[in-house]
Amino acid sequence: MTFESDRRYTRRDTVLLLLCLTLSLAALFSPAAWGNDVAATLRGTVLSPLVWLQARAEEGRTSRVRFRVVTTERDSAAYLAQFLPSLRAENERLRQLLRLSHRLTASYVAAEVLHQPQATDSRTLLLSVGSRQGVAPFNPVVAPEGLIGVILSVSGTSSIAMSWAHPEFRVSAFTVGGNAFGVVAPSIEGRNNEGALEFRGVPYRDSVPLGTLVLSSGLGGVFPKGIPVGTVIGTVREEAGWERVYRLRPAANPGSAAHVLVLLGSRGGDLAPAFPSDSLLEVLRLDSIARGRRADSVAQAVKAATQAVRAATQAVKAARAARRDSLARTSPILGGTSTGQPAVQPEDSSQ
Amino acid sequence: MSPRRVTRAQVALVLLLLVVLQFYIRPRLWNARVSPDFLLIGLMLFAMRSGAGAGALAGFIVGLIEDTLTPARFGAAALAHTVVGYLAAWGRALFFADNMLVNAGFVAVGLWLRDLIVLVASETDHRQLLTELTFYSPIQALTTAAFALVLLLTFRAVFSVRLDA
Repeated sequence: MTFESDRRYTRRDTVLLLLCLTLSLAALFSPAAWGNDVAATLRGTVLSPLVWLQARAEEGRTSRVRFRVVTTERDSAAYLAQFLPSLRAENERLRQLLRLSHRLTASYVAAEVLHQPQATDSRTLLLSVGSRQGVAPFNPVVAPEGLIGVILSVSGTSSIAMSWAHPEFRVSAFTVGGNAFGVVAPSIEGRNNEGALEFRGVPYRDSVPLGTLVLSSGLGGVFPKGIPVGTVIGTVREEAGWERVYRLRPAANPGSAAHVLVLLGSRGGDLAPAFPSDSLLEVLRLDSIARGRRADSVAQAVKAATQAVRAATQAVKAARAARRDSLARTSPILGGTSTGQPAVQPEDSSQ
Repeated sequence: MSPRRVTRAQVALVLLLLVVLQFYIRPRLWNARVSPDFLLIGLMLFAMRSGAGAGALAGFIVGLIEDTLTPARFGAAALAHTVVGYLAAWGRALFFADNMLVNAGFVAVGLWLRDLIVLVASETDHRQLLTELTFYSPIQALTTAAFALVLLLTFRAVFSVRLDA
């Protein structure tokens, strides 16, 4: 490689330098609008590839940032969406519980169910209320759908409820139509590990159709009358022709209950209106239809009787008119001719 | 095609690579204010191997590009790069221009001088001028010089040629 320290600067270099300096100074001190026009022209023509290249680079850089932002937003949305159904369900349950509390005539206290991670969690439930809130053993525990269980033991701020899934749970019950009574107990023949109830002790002669709602009867003094216990979904067995055992789909699920009501105080009275289930409404509707039909039949009978009375009255009037005519024809006083027989036989009104 | 022409073509390719780096890679770097100025590296390496007139003209063109893409004060960058290009070509005669560290030092000084002229010509206020010249420009000068050194080490054979010979 050769050093060029001895290289002479030519006039051409000087001219180029002066020319470039002059142009630069001219651009520097020219009006800003003129400079902007020149810059815009150059950007649109000669330098457009460089602008395009830089735009792609900027797009790539911001795309990465935007991708991160979108990914973060998507992850956040997905995270929140995981809880959305459960929040909605909890909200709906709380609304139902609120409506139930308005309908209940008995005193109550609301409680949270503190679920435990054990497999037997649904048999006994830990509730967040205790004796300080007035809870006592054998208080019924209900959910908006129906019966959950009964308080087993109580401490100051918490209590243990025995749910219907507990093997020792029993409740006296009857069908919503009132045609069958029995005792509801947890099913001893778990089908597909599903929690189910049995409606035992129903006399063989009392047939209970599928879909019938079973309510607590109030017998025994623990559970008030009218709390939905379950719906008949089939027959489990028949005991030697004197008893039928029906399978019930429980009205309320202790495993998923997050909030419940503990009924306090008196257990008298009918709570069925506080639990307007479909079956109950159906029974009420059928009752109203039957009453309507009965009322219709009475009205029709009255109408028929009225029509019969009207017909009889008209017949009497016609007989009287005919008798007057016959008398007029046979009486000489009235200008008639006597034939010895009336022209028209009068109808007997008594017939 | 003569070896000299091949070498000139290689220099042109390296300069083209620097242009691509300037407009496609530099926007992706973490901070454009202190990241290497690839166009200035190309200008300095070209001017130090060319005549003063060619260096001034190359500087003017590079400055015009920057003025066009950064229209803060049209003409300021053209003036600054013209002066820097001319001085780079002129300074080669005074220093050991074949030494890579000297080349890198030229690049660093050239960048700082370019910033000084641009800031003054753009009528920047004193506080910002001081901040730029004492903080950002030295950092950018160092990063630019470091990259220029890497480039010279990588393309040592290419940049051993005298373009004005």
